[in-house]
Amino acid sequence: MIGGGTLLGAPLIAAQTDIIPRGSRSAVFNQIYWVFLVLGTLVGVIVIGYMLYNAYKYRAGRAAGSERSAESGEGGPALGELPQGSGGGRKLALSFTLSAVIVISLILWTYGTLLYVESPPDAEESMEVEVIGFQFGWEFVYPNGNTTTGTLRVPTGERVRLRVTSRDVFHNFGIAELEAKADAIPGQYTDTWFIANESGTYQAQCYELCGAGHSYMNATVVAMEPAAFERWYANTTPANGTTNASPEDAATTTASTNHGAKADVAAAPGATAPRAAALETNAAEASAERSLAR
Amino acid sequence: MTHDDHPRDDGPGQAAADERTKPDDGSPRTDGGRATDGGHAGATGELPATGPAEEEHHGFPPMSSVKRWFVTTNHKDVGILYIVTSLLFLVFGGVLALLMRVQLWAPRAAGEGILSALAYNQSVSIHGLIMVFWFLSPFAFGFANYVVPLQIGAKDLAFPRLNALSYWLYLFSGLLLGISFFQGGSFAGGWTMYAPLNIPAYTPSIGASTAILALLLFVVSVTVSSVNFLTSMHRMRAEGLTLRKLPLFTWSILLTVWMMLFAFAALLAALMILSADRLAGTTYFAAADAGGSLLWTHLFWFFGHPEVYIVFFPALGVMAETFQTFTGRRLVGRKWFIASMLLVALQSFVVWMHHMFLTSINLQIKTLFMATTIGISLPFDLMVFSLIYTTIKGRIRFLTPFLFSFGALLLFIIGGITGVFLGAVVLDYEFRGTYWVVAHFHYVMVAGVTALIGGLYYWYPKITGKMYDEFLGKVHFALYFVGFNLLYFPMFVVWETPRRVFEYDPAFAPWHKVATVGGFVLGASFLVMFYNLYTSLWAGEDADSSPWAHSTTAEWAIPSPPPLENYPGIPSYGDGSLSFLDRLGGSDRAADGGEVTDGVDVAGDHATDGGVADDRRATDGGTVATADPATAVERAGGKSHEHDAGDHGEGHGPSHASIWPFAVSVGAFLTLLGLSGLQEGAFAPGLEGGLYMALTGVGFLVGMASLVAFGRERFHGLEGPFGESWPFEGIENTKTGVWIFLASDVVLFGAFIGSYVFMRVASGWTTWEIVPGDPLPGLMNTYLLLTSSFTVVLALVAAEKGSRGGVIASLLTTFLLGVGFLFNKGIEWDHLFHEGLWLDTNVQASTFFLTTGLHAGHVIAGLIVTLYLIVRAWQGAYLEDSGSIEYFGLYWHFVDIVWLFLFPLFYIL
Ligand code: HEM
Ligand SMILES: [Cu+2]
Ligand SMILES: [Cu+2]
Repeated sequence: MIGGGTLLGAPLIAAQTDIIPRGSRSAVFNQIYWVFLVLGTLVGVIVIGYMLYNAYKYRAGRAAGSERSAESGEGGPALGELPQGSGGGRKLALSFTLSAVIVISLILWTYGTLLYVESPPDAEESMEVEVIGFQFGWEFVYPNGNTTTGTLRVPTGERVRLRVTSRDVFHNFGIAELEAKADAIPGQYTDTWFIANESGTYQAQCYELCGAGHSYMNATVVAMEPAAFERWYANTTPANGTTNASPEDAATTTASTNHGAKADVAAAPGATAPRAAALETNAAEASAERSLAR
Repeated sequence: MTHDDHPRDDGPGQAAADERTKPDDGSPRTDGGRATDGGHAGATGELPATGPAEEEHHGFPPMSSVKRWFVTTNHKDVGILYIVTSLLFLVFGGVLALLMRVQLWAPRAAGEGILSALAYNQSVSIHGLIMVFWFLSPFAFGFANYVVPLQIGAKDLAFPRLNALSYWLYLFSGLLLGISFFQGGSFAGGWTMYAPLNIPAYTPSIGASTAILALLLFVVSVTVSSVNFLTSMHRMRAEGLTLRKLPLFTWSILLTVWMMLFAFAALLAALMILSADRLAGTTYFAAADAGGSLLWTHLFWFFGHPEVYIVFFPALGVMAETFQTFTGRRLVGRKWFIASMLLVALQSFVVWMHHMFLTSINLQIKTLFMATTIGISLPFDLMVFSLIYTTIKGRIRFLTPFLFSFGALLLFIIGGITGVFLGAVVLDYEFRGTYWVVAHFHYVMVAGVTALIGGLYYWYPKITGKMYDEFLGKVHFALYFVGFNLLYFPMFVVWETPRRVFEYDPAFAPWHKVATVGGFVLGASFLVMFYNLYTSLWAGEDADSSPWAHSTTAEWAIPSPPPLENYPGIPSYGDGSLSFLDRLGGSDRAADGGEVTDGVDVAGDHATDGGVADDRRATDGGTVATADPATAVERAGGKSHEHDAGDHGEGHGPSHASIWPFAVSVGAFLTLLGLSGLQEGAFAPGLEGGLYMALTGVGFLVGMASLVAFGRERFHGLEGPFGESWPFEGIENTKTGVWIFLASDVVLFGAFIGSYVFMRVASGWTTWEIVPGDPLPGLMNTYLLLTSSFTVVLALVAAEKGSRGGVIASLLTTFLLGVGFLFNKGIEWDHLFHEGLWLDTNVQASTFFLTTGLHAGHVIAGLIVTLYLIVRAWQGAYLEDSGSIEYFGLYWHFVDIVWLFLFPLFYIL
């Protein structure tokens, strides 16, 4: 697909910036995914088709099908011989090279995007929200210190950066429709970002098995028009969360001050008492949220 | 070195009458088996010294006897046991899978459906663990056990009793896993066992500990098995079977076992640390500020990625063999095929971080691992093409084994292509934790299963002597293939479903329903297989030695099923194709050959059956408290045989029976079951805790007693070389085994030391508080150990000089120095304890006590062996044959060297 595709081609490809998908994560993902899907299907169909064609073409006839008569086939492998191969090395080398070129050029192509995804150009200007996973829910800490649980509000069309960590076990924070995902590891911070172009409600989920409530460890991501978001955000305060929060927000908002404090994260194993309770509330919320999402 | 007291007498001389037999002649009952006797020295004893070839002879029970299956050490019997047992685990894991599929019929709110949330998590976790560990690998190793010795031309593996031991440890580890469900629920943290969900703070049930211990026992079994296979495959190949000429199935197993040796050592370290966290209260994985959670991912995936190839390689080997047999063509690009496998095996150890792209690792590392990942996928392209091209111009017979192999290739191609998606990091970011991954790895791994089922049909006639029903075989394949794709393909379609979750977007439900139906179709196909294979045992046609046209490898040159000792002579490829000789080297090279047989297999204590190779298990015992001393005794025990050797004039082929592997495993099973009741280093008060404590005690005693008996038993294994032994020509079996074992021990310690360094770096190297405030005891211990190494050397010198007093004195000094080391350490630990520092104090203390404790366990095991050596030396042993002292020396020096690393790391830096 891309000219060259050899190792030498890498800088070339990188230079042709228009080939490399950029934009929101979903846009990036979709472009790459579809290219892979189409090519993958093509390669799969060709290889498997070829394989089946050969199998059909060189099938033994009915008469020759019996093991006795097959034995007499001239020149085949014989019992007791030292293992050896048959020729065909050139053909093999050729197909191998071809497949290597396809695979390597595909991956190199995506590498440009990886570079872009890993260090988005305007990283500094965007809002950064800290995401703290716990059994079994998500807590969000905004730059102004405002802390909510279960709902993340973001402005549309803007890059939102996430710093993800966990208060107890290994989780993974992901928003399927926005294609953002990051491990939530106790004692560590992982970074990711996304852009929600359409306003509306998205569902965030946990993507790493974390205990009994894992299936229901969801959160709602509400993308708001920038103006509406600004209004909402201006009214939030560090201490008690939001003033114009939706009812469910109010119910679950906690006045947490422990964001980012390493010591608190480290104390994880102790902090598991409300597990069962959390599981229950989450289960209840889950069905509510399911109707919200999509 | 020659040893007059060795019973070499019956070798060449007696067998000289045998004709050179050509393979297809294949009469099973020839006496030729005896011809090899020159190769195995040692002696018989209380145990049935089974005569050549005849199973009914000399008290080795026939196959119809139940007793046979408890005592057998024969590789073919053990292979059958592995295959049957692994199929039982397939059913177990399959039932769990079907339970999950039923739960996934529709998205469920909490409490809905047949499984509770925790039950679902247990099903996912144990299904994964069973399928990967207790089914897939052992299934492959059933064939490896049965077929590899046949393909390399050996009568058995190098250490038959260790082989039986591997099996029994495997079986009992599986039972342990089963029991875990009844101890308040089994482990529910996924097969990846991510930290810190894996510690009791989050998975408190006793059953969870039991499951971890079960896996630990399984890993021990794998390590024993790896040492055994590697020694056998390197040392005991038939003349002419150089490594490059090995059949492909054997090649695939060889590489698998090498990977296992190192990869499982890393897992062993991970599980030992985890067990310590769960049972003794160390705080590795809870230590968030020291990267405990990440540490687990590193340890696990360093093992986990090679494991992917460990489960797939044997399948690849089966595919290569069956493609050649059923297309009637030799493999295209065989050389490249082998080179590819070799490359993959090596490279498999440098790709593990591709499982961690979403953790906090930086871009450079991601790039590096992306590159190695793509690199490792390319050799597979070559292998796939090689298989496809092999069919061209062939005359393909679509019999059941080939159908499965062919189907496996097709599925593997799909699995491989979808894997390339995951190799693109940007895509992996989104696929991670979804059903894309689930679908992908099932396509790959179950493709492996598919090929192995082909292998089951392929070797079924060889193993049972009966043909399966071809029609039912094809029905099985049809159902299997349709069921498989119904089950897994929909998972690609609804890949956005998060993994290990039973509440999903209702829009996905129809596809999940299709998958569930497919699961049941797949399950039903196995019923057809079981029915077919079971009834064919009686109703099947008799199979002759090779039911397949164009089969090439040696197992097809002998009757189905093969006689107890496999060959009517010494198999040799010396003149370019398989023949059976009376004696090694052929008549034309008789003199030479004789010399090889007598000369090279030096020390003559090959009966040791593994000896030191076992030691790590022993030492692990130090931590998990299974029976070290007895293993140690075993190691030295073998040595005693040479002296009895002379008593037995005639007719001893290798032994085939020992009950002790079984007994040792029972002991280990009970011990671990008991230990599962531990938390924070103590048993719960009350009846239950008492019960667990009692189990531990009883198990420990049983294990010890059996190990002592194991060590004292007279058993002769085989000693190569029978032809090719590169690269261990001059190093006899036991010594080779010791070296190989030590290699895996290096990885074990490496993983422990690596963990320490990792945690220390993560929490700040310089701010790390060094636990032993005073380096002096450590320094003293360094001198003590170094001196003791020196005295072992003296003991060896004395033995070679024939000085009994010298041997005893030097060994005694070694012993005392070792005791001094432990004593000194005891005082040190006592001090620390009174300063308020213990295993569970903090991560600094945990790493210090656990790592040096592991080393101390090695010292203790060594001292017990020393004690045994002293007693034996007192009785006059080792003067003619100092092998035991030499092997022990290897081990002891190794333990010293480890200390030379530990001392500066833990006391000074
Ligand atoms: C025979 C070879 C098989 C192997 C080696 C295998 C292996 C695995 C592994 C390693 C996992 C991951 C467990 C975890 O996430 O902790 C898994 C999950 C799963 N397997 Fe299998 N499996 C096999 C067969 C099957 C079959 C026959 C079925 C269905 C009837 C099945 C259904 C599932 C399901 C539903 C999951 C859970 C997926 C998830 O939620 O992550 N597997 N399997
Ligand atoms: Cu989770
Ligand atoms: Cu991997």
